[in-house]
Amino acid sequence: MSIAPSGGEWTDVGPQGSLARTGLWFRRSVPTLALTVFALVAWELVIRIGHVSTYIVPAPTAIAHSLAANANDLWQAALVTAREVFLGFALSLVVGVALALVIVRFRWFGRAVYPLIVLFQTVPKVALAPIFILWFGYDLAPKVLLILVIAFFPITLNMLAGLEAVERGFVALMHSVGASENEILFRVRVPHALPQLMAGVKIAITFCVIGAIVGEFAGASAGLGYVIQFASTQLETPLVFAALVVVSLVGVGFYYVSELLERFIVPWAPEFDGTDRT
Amino acid sequence: MAPVRAAASHLGARDLAIAYTVHGRRQTVLQDVGLDIARGAFVSLIGASGCGKSTLLKVFAGLIQPTAGTVAVAGVSPQEAVRKRLVGLVFQDANLLPWKTALGNAAFLLEIADKSLGRKAARERAAEMLDLVGLRGAADKLPRQLSGGMQQRVAIARALTLDPEILLMDEPFGALDAITREEMSHSLLEIWERTKKTIVLVTHSINEAVLLSTEVHVMGLRPARIVETLKVELPWPRGADSFRDPRFGALEAQLRALLLESHGHRRSPS
Repeated sequence: MSIAPSGGEWTDVGPQGSLARTGLWFRRSVPTLALTVFALVAWELVIRIGHVSTYIVPAPTAIAHSLAANANDLWQAALVTAREVFLGFALSLVVGVALALVIVRFRWFGRAVYPLIVLFQTVPKVALAPIFILWFGYDLAPKVLLILVIAFFPITLNMLAGLEAVERGFVALMHSVGASENEILFRVRVPHALPQLMAGVKIAITFCVIGAIVGEFAGASAGLGYVIQFASTQLETPLVFAALVVVSLVGVGFYYVSELLERFIVPWAPEFDGTDRT
Repeated sequence: MAPVRAAASHLGARDLAIAYTVHGRRQTVLQDVGLDIARGAFVSLIGASGCGKSTLLKVFAGLIQPTAGTVAVAGVSPQEAVRKRLVGLVFQDANLLPWKTALGNAAFLLEIADKSLGRKAARERAAEMLDLVGLRGAADKLPRQLSGGMQQRVAIARALTLDPEILLMDEPFGALDAITREEMSHSLLEIWERTKKTIVLVTHSINEAVLLSTEVHVMGLRPARIVETLKVELPWPRGADSFRDPRFGALEAQLRALLLESHGHRRSPS
C-alpha cells in the first residue's frame, strides 16, 4: 500500500529552458537598443544643426573618433581602474561578510558596533579621499581603501538581513536536535543569506567603480578617473566622454560578472531581471 | 519532580502554568493544565486562536520552560527527551532549506543530531521515510519544485527520519487547501498506524480532530486550560467511510458546542 498523493505530477516551477530564455532576452533588448540608437541620432543632429562647440558637448561621432584614437591609452587606464575596483571589491566582500557574521554570532558585539557602522555610513566618503591620499600616497592603497569604506556597507547590511531572515521555526528545529550556535550559523544562516548577499554585491559593485574614480580624482597618475581629469583640464571634452564610456563599460562588465556568479552560487534563488516572469 | 504515572502516560503535564511579563504586566498563557497522553495515542489539541495550544506543544518540545508545574515526556524532562531524540517536530511552515533537495532536507536534522551516523546512513534512512510519506520519486527535487502539500510531506519525513517516539505537530496542514488537507490527513493516519508513534496534533479543524484522534482535548480561553477531553471511539481503520458514521457527526457537534462555549466565555465580562 502506498501513501502517494493523488496527483502524480510534480509541480515544477523551475527556470525555463536556456534557449527559450535567450530568445526572450533578445526580444526584451529590442526596445532598449532602439531607444539608444534614437537617442544617439538625436544627439548627433542637435549638435550638428545647433553648431555646438565640441569643447562644450561633443557629438557621438566625435566621441567615437576619440575612442578609436586613444584606444590604447584608454585600455591601459581601464586596466588600472579595473584592478582597483577588483581589489577594492574583494576587500569589501571579505570585510563586509566578516562583519555581518561577527555581529550575528556575538550579539553584544553587534549591539556595540552596529550604531557606529550606521554613524560612519553618514560620513560623506568622498570627503575622505584627500585624507587617504595624504595617508597612503598616490598608488593603489588609497583607492582600494576608499572603495572599501564606500562598498562594505551594502554588503554587510544585506548579509545581515539574510542571516536574520531564517524562520524562527527552523531555528527551533535546529535547537530541538541539539545544534550548536555555530552549526545554526554556518549550516543554515549563511547559505540562507547567500541570495541576499548577492543582492548586496550587485549594489556594492557599482559603488566600487564610483569609489575608484573618486579616488583617482583626488590624486593619481593613471586610471580612467585620471584620464577624465587630465582631459578636462586640456578641454579635450571628446576624450572625457570617451573615458566615461569606458568607465560605464567597466561597471557593466563587473555587474554582469557578479550576476553570472550569482547563478553559480545560488542556483536555487528566484531570478530578478527587472521584469515580471508571468 | 513528581512522577507523572510514567508507566501509563507517554506525555504528561501536571498543574502546568505559563506566564510572561510583557511591559511590566503579568500575562498568563496557560493555567492549571493537566494532561496524560498514552503511548501510541493520537491526540488532538483544539481551541480558539491564542488559547495556548501551540505554547503547550512547545513546552512538550522543550522549547519553552513552564513557569510552574511539571512536565514529563517519556518519563523524563522535555529537554532530556529532546537530547535522546524522542521528540519530532512539524510546524505549519514546512521550513525546508531552499538549497537542499527533498532528500537533503529530510536527512538534515538527523545529520546534525547524530554526527557519528554519517551522511550516507542518514540519507538512507531519510529515503525510506520519503517513501513512507509518498514522495518516492521526489527525492532530488528542490523545495520550490514541490507543491505545498509535498513540502509538508518532506517536513514530516524529516521528523520521522529522527525516529522519535513522539511526533508533535503544530497545525501542520493549516496552510494547505481543503483537498490536499484531507489527503494529508489520510496519509498521516496511515503513517501513525505503521509507525506506532504517539502523535500530538494542534489543529483548528474540528473535522480533522475527530477523524484522526483517539482523544481530543478542547482548550478554552481565559484562563487558558483544558476544558474538556473527548474520547473518539470511531472504528479503525478510519477513512472516507468514517464521515458517514452517525457518531462522527455527533462528536463534531459536541466539539463545536464546546468551542462556541469557550468563545462565549471570552466575550462575557466575567
